[in-house]
Amino acid sequence: MSRRQPPFERLVPDYVKRFEPYIPSKPDDVLKKLYGCSRLYRLNNNENPLGPPPSACRSIRRFPPARASIYPSGDAYHLRCKLGETFGMHPDQFLVGNGANEVIAFAIKAFCQQGDNIVTADKTFAVYEWVAEFSGFEARLVPLRDYGFDPDGMIDSIDERTKILFVCNPNNPTGSWWNEETLRSFLNRVDGRQIVVVDEAYREFIEGRPFTDSMALIAEYPNLVVFRTFSKMYALAGLRIGYLAGSREVVDIIRRTCVVYSVNGLAQVAAFAALDDEEHVLRSREQVRQGKEFLTRELGLLGLDVVHGEGNFMMVHLPMSDSLAYRKLMTRGVMVRGMTGFRFPNWIRVTMSHMEAMERFVEALAEVLQGNSCPVV
Amino acid sequence: MLLATGCDEDFLPLVTSFVKEAALCHGLGRDEAMGLTLAGEEIFVHLCRTAKPGREPVEIRCGSGGYYVQAEFSFTAEDLDLRAFNLTTSIALDDDAELEGMGLVIASRLVDRFQLSFEQARHVRLSLVQEKSYPLHEEDSPPVCPPLSRVSIRPPSPEEVKLIARQARHCYLGHYLSDFFKYPGKLVDMLAAGEYQGLAAIGPAGEVGGAILWNWAGRRTVECFGPYVFTEDSDSVMAESLVEGCIGAIARTHAVGLINTRPTPQLPEQHFERLGTLKASTEDGASMTVHAWFRLMREDEGCAVWVHEDLQEFVQRECRRLVLPREIRRAQNAGENLPAHSVISVQSDRLQGRAVLRPMWPGSDCEANIEKHVHLMRQEGIPNLFFMMDLGQAWQADFTSGLLHHGFTPCLLLPYAGEADVILLQLSESGS
Repeated sequence: MSRRQPPFERLVPDYVKRFEPYIPSKPDDVLKKLYGCSRLYRLNNNENPLGPPPSACRSIRRFPPARASIYPSGDAYHLRCKLGETFGMHPDQFLVGNGANEVIAFAIKAFCQQGDNIVTADKTFAVYEWVAEFSGFEARLVPLRDYGFDPDGMIDSIDERTKILFVCNPNNPTGSWWNEETLRSFLNRVDGRQIVVVDEAYREFIEGRPFTDSMALIAEYPNLVVFRTFSKMYALAGLRIGYLAGSREVVDIIRRTCVVYSVNGLAQVAAFAALDDEEHVLRSREQVRQGKEFLTRELGLLGLDVVHGEGNFMMVHLPMSDSLAYRKLMTRGVMVRGMTGFRFPNWIRVTMSHMEAMERFVEALAEVLQGNSCPVV
Repeated sequence: MLLATGCDEDFLPLVTSFVKEAALCHGLGRDEAMGLTLAGEEIFVHLCRTAKPGREPVEIRCGSGGYYVQAEFSFTAEDLDLRAFNLTTSIALDDDAELEGMGLVIASRLVDRFQLSFEQARHVRLSLVQEKSYPLHEEDSPPVCPPLSRVSIRPPSPEEVKLIARQARHCYLGHYLSDFFKYPGKLVDMLAAGEYQGLAAIGPAGEVGGAILWNWAGRRTVECFGPYVFTEDSDSVMAESLVEGCIGAIARTHAVGLINTRPTPQLPEQHFERLGTLKASTEDGASMTVHAWFRLMREDEGCAVWVHEDLQEFVQRECRRLVLPREIRRAQNAGENLPAHSVISVQSDRLQGRAVLRPMWPGSDCEANIEKHVHLMRQEGIPNLFFMMDLGQAWQADFTSGLLHHGFTPCLLLPYAGEADVILLQLSESGS
């Protein structure tokens, strides 16, 4: 037996040495104990408090336990066929992953090699930047303009080693979004030289506005790749399932780097059923609308600035450190997302939820801002 | 540059030549290079005399940090009596040995910074740092910066860095500034080497309206300096933009905490939390109070901390005040066997008149060991003496009684500055 440590200095690439592992939140029961709260309102991850659509719930309940012993479809065959029907595209234009995070990694692995770079915004979903950097690729970050992605800045950042441009649309956390005219103009200027990824994780929350039909644009722009997820609107975050869509040629390239069998069978049948449930979408949008109206009014009364657009979340500017506000809110049973990691120091992001949770959040935040004594931890 | 050699005094000329030539190649002057060389000689002799035959070779790495040259000795201490790495230990391991026989102490005297650290698997690193000499900043009056209607926040160019040093010296009293502001060239090299980073607020016509600097003060902690505002109106919006720029720059790194122990009046307090105060002795012997501020860079998911009963009240009070979710566990020696000899590492900075002690290895002699180190640091004329205890490592609590007995008092709880939180204890002037 050799107890000798591996020579990490030699074995580990420099770009991995620079990284620390991402530490996810502790489970709710542990957090409740640490913060001394008996109930926890989860307003931090943009989860849908309505839960999965009833159709998906039925599929989950009917899932025979014996099927847990059988490998799932390795490439989510039935779900891809259903997506093809839904969007009028070929099933091979879809690639299903273990959450949208996995398809981000597939796309970067498929197109980037040493010396390449990706372009995205500085204040957006962090995973594009993280995956690029811990894979050894440069992430070029373009400052937001008026809380939105800056198409001119992104175009200016492109060089001959740029492979992918990531646009979060609507943007998490600001909720800003590009309309069809802006997206078309951007794609025209890119002129097919790079892959353009439009991450539409929150696309289903948009209502009443002429939002881009990006799936239809794929036929016109073969370099366009669209990401979607079942974690947000369809509330299947716990099952981890998302997908990308693109031209058959582009998807064929990305498929070469994907891990088959990474999406479990239960997630596949739940997602399949969820796609049909339009009623769930309408109820979720209604809840988000009510939450935004309530919070805009109540936070305005507290003298706080808010930023929100599309999506089931809102950003709130605080006169204190967001990490301190997080801790104080946690002692009151309210969990929000601090925005320091999104490069918005002293902002928090709040998920729209049912009215009881919204009211508790406002009450707790008012206490924190008034400097009321904190419950003893 | 790397030299790997066996622990044999026959190789001493090779080692000294290597360190000397590396120091000169990296730009040290003759005197500084000689200091580093002699320190390296002391270290190597110490290793040769404490090593058993046939041990693994020592690796000596010499490199430039821009404004300094570092010689780092690294080796595995599996076959060594670890107490040999207490700065207070004489080679003969004889309690009555004269100081002249203490190679580690002599080495620490010859260089600007000395650090002994232990890593996993008894891997020891001895780091010797010698800084380059820079001309002192001449006391002139830089142009006054008018109020700026708008600024862009970006890293400063080398010429702008020199201007920042001059402006800072002009606009701020000495206690707001680190020593490096006296040496604009050194500041340029510090930033160019990447050890320090900075942002400047640049006006429409290229005016330097303000700046902020920062560096890594530990594996997970960043220390920032400033914000410095040079405009006539002490622009608070600019100060906040600089702080937000700094936070943005480290937001997606592995930094967990951002601290500031030299806040300027323009520090936007809404971005920070008050951590506590330290006493500092300045070059001229005066005493000043230093306010420490911090912010967590992440949501606090909580952790367990191991605390000796004599520090429990302090830790509970600070956790309550700072709203830190902690499971406070009592760390208590229950009569179990301990190694005979503890080890304490010393990180000394003679330029700052400061030394930080850290426990590296438990031992039944820890109280006596603390006493020896305090005595030595007093002899060495280092006025600001600290002890850092990692509450994530239960065995370190064994040092508590000795520390309190010899006059150390807890002053700051640094969240997540180690495996868990770290208590910073400071030796009072009357201690030991």
